[in-house]
Amino acid sequence: VTTAEPPEKTTQPWTAQGEGKISSWLSWLVGGKQPAASHLMLAPAALWLLFFLVIPVTVLLAHSVAQRGPYGAIKWAFTTANFARALDPKYLPVLLRTFGYASATTLLCLVLGFPVAYYLSFYAGKKRETLMIMLMIPFWTSCLVAIYSWIIILGREGLLNNSLIWLGVIKTPLTILNTPFAVILGMVYFYIPFMVLPLYSSLEKIPRQFIEASYDLGAGAATTFLKITLPLSLPGVFAGCILTFVPCMGDFLTAEFLGGPKTYLIGNLIQNQFLMAQDWPFGSALTALLLITLVAGLFIYQKIEERELENA
Amino acid sequence: MPKLTRAEFLKMGLAAATFPSLLAACASGPKKREVNFFNWSKYIGKDTLANFTKETGIAVNYEEFADEEEMFAKLRSGARGYDLIIGTDYMMPRMKALNVIDPYPPGALKNLGNIDPKFRNTPFDPENAFSVPYLWGTTGIGYNKKLAPKSPTSWKDLWDEKYSGKISMLDNARDCISTALLLTGHKETDVDDAAFKQVREVLLKQRPLVKQYTSSTYMDGLVAGELFMSMAWSGDVLQASKENPQLDYVIPKEGSYMWVDSLCLVRGSQNREDALRLVDFLIQADVAADIANTVRYATPNSAAREKLEPALKKDPRVFPNKEVAARLQFHTMLDPDTAQLWNDTWSDIKVGA
Repeated sequence: VTTAEPPEKTTQPWTAQGEGKISSWLSWLVGGKQPAASHLMLAPAALWLLFFLVIPVTVLLAHSVAQRGPYGAIKWAFTTANFARALDPKYLPVLLRTFGYASATTLLCLVLGFPVAYYLSFYAGKKRETLMIMLMIPFWTSCLVAIYSWIIILGREGLLNNSLIWLGVIKTPLTILNTPFAVILGMVYFYIPFMVLPLYSSLEKIPRQFIEASYDLGAGAATTFLKITLPLSLPGVFAGCILTFVPCMGDFLTAEFLGGPKTYLIGNLIQNQFLMAQDWPFGSALTALLLITLVAGLFIYQKIEERELENA
Repeated sequence: MPKLTRAEFLKMGLAAATFPSLLAACASGPKKREVNFFNWSKYIGKDTLANFTKETGIAVNYEEFADEEEMFAKLRSGARGYDLIIGTDYMMPRMKALNVIDPYPPGALKNLGNIDPKFRNTPFDPENAFSVPYLWGTTGIGYNKKLAPKSPTSWKDLWDEKYSGKISMLDNARDCISTALLLTGHKETDVDDAAFKQVREVLLKQRPLVKQYTSSTYMDGLVAGELFMSMAWSGDVLQASKENPQLDYVIPKEGSYMWVDSLCLVRGSQNREDALRLVDFLIQADVAADIANTVRYATPNSAAREKLEPALKKDPRVFPNKEVAARLQFHTMLDPDTAQLWNDTWSDIKVGA
């Protein structure tokens, strides 16, 4: 691999003499002919990453190998005990449950989101912008407001039960709130825009000539969809699944308010360590493990994808 | 419009960035008088703070929490800007140990004499240095008379399989572990494996029946009929029962715990003087009485007791009679190791292990 050299070399600014030194240095910095300018343009993003990724993750990892002192104070002495505790088999059911809920949510988002994205991309026409905004509105609503709305809808005397009774479908109210069903419903509701948007953008990118060509060559609608549209939308499917699955693994609000003891997820366990048990080191170790697992998963996925691209 | 060169644009940006700090430098006149008060939700009179501002000209920035542990986590993680908080007795050792609160300067409060001497020199603040009692209450069972076929009398009713999926428990180690210890015939100071094995068994046996572990949403559940009965704090239920007469509250026959919530000064506060002024206002007889009348918790303020609504004053669910009071006790102050044992046990119960 060779790195591209700048096409021309100008004199280095710091070699300039006399009063023009600072101004020439400045013009070098912002002038745009040298890499410095592009570094300057990168600064906001780099600072963002530093403050919102590098520093927090470092602090988290530091806590995860620290010890818990009296009344939850942090004792800065190295230990691996938090990780050993996090790997205790008693937490395995919580982890598996979380994986199950995240997978089910992702799958449902895909099944429900694909037709929506498909419609938006191929048929919505002038209505597209309106529909997009309608899709995004719940996403802009405060999470807690949305959760409380769901509590009102799903409650024993809520909108859903009352409607069903009025329609004569059921006689006594169903228990919906604080069940796995309510949790999945809430999660699908929150994360479906994360699925629809990447799906839409990849469907939108499919050259329409390919589809026309397929029809011209005699393929029916089903064959065209299976052989042209679906394969070309796969990057969107993968991106959507990752964008849905990853935040689902860390969700705790939905499970806390719409769920109950039976829907206790890894996010609840972590939240409990920070807010209730006052055990920040253990909470940090759990978070670190979750983070490492997810990053490793994404890394492996990327490697597989690269290999497939090379083979293709 | 003339086009800007990139250098000019950046220079303008630089000027704009320094502008607010110039403004701020000009504006530093006399400091605005204000107090930042962090309180339990639904724990104050309707006009209490507005009246305070009217009387003193000091603005109150009021924020509520629904969970004390979360409040504590926020304070210890270095949340700046709170001047005055409410803390329950059992939080005191922790708040002192982690340097979250400051002692009151002696003689700073002229209404301190209003506080009932029974609530001074308590185990949680033997020198009366860190806390000024605000309200007190009990932990018991709140229930919906219409839905619960028979009024609960015992903690065991929360273990009754008839009510599977219709009960909730408070989501904290303090209330649940202490009750489990009580039910298995142990003291709060017992830390031996045998005691905690029983505590785990009792709470895990109940877990499948519990619809939710929650300290903040159980009232909604009781009102809406989602829940038949809940482990509850007295005033929460009684407040709601003003609107929904079907709700009632009982202190179980096995006994229970009472607790005191106190006003505490946050360390590092920038508005100490104004915070003290607010504390002094809140313990005035008529103000404290109005707060108790609104929130339906008992007041530790003897001067205020004279001014309570007669119905509240006589309500044995608020001010337990002698016979009930004999079954009530204060929480013991736990040492750090015991506190940790309680928290870890509770964490395990939530996981189901």
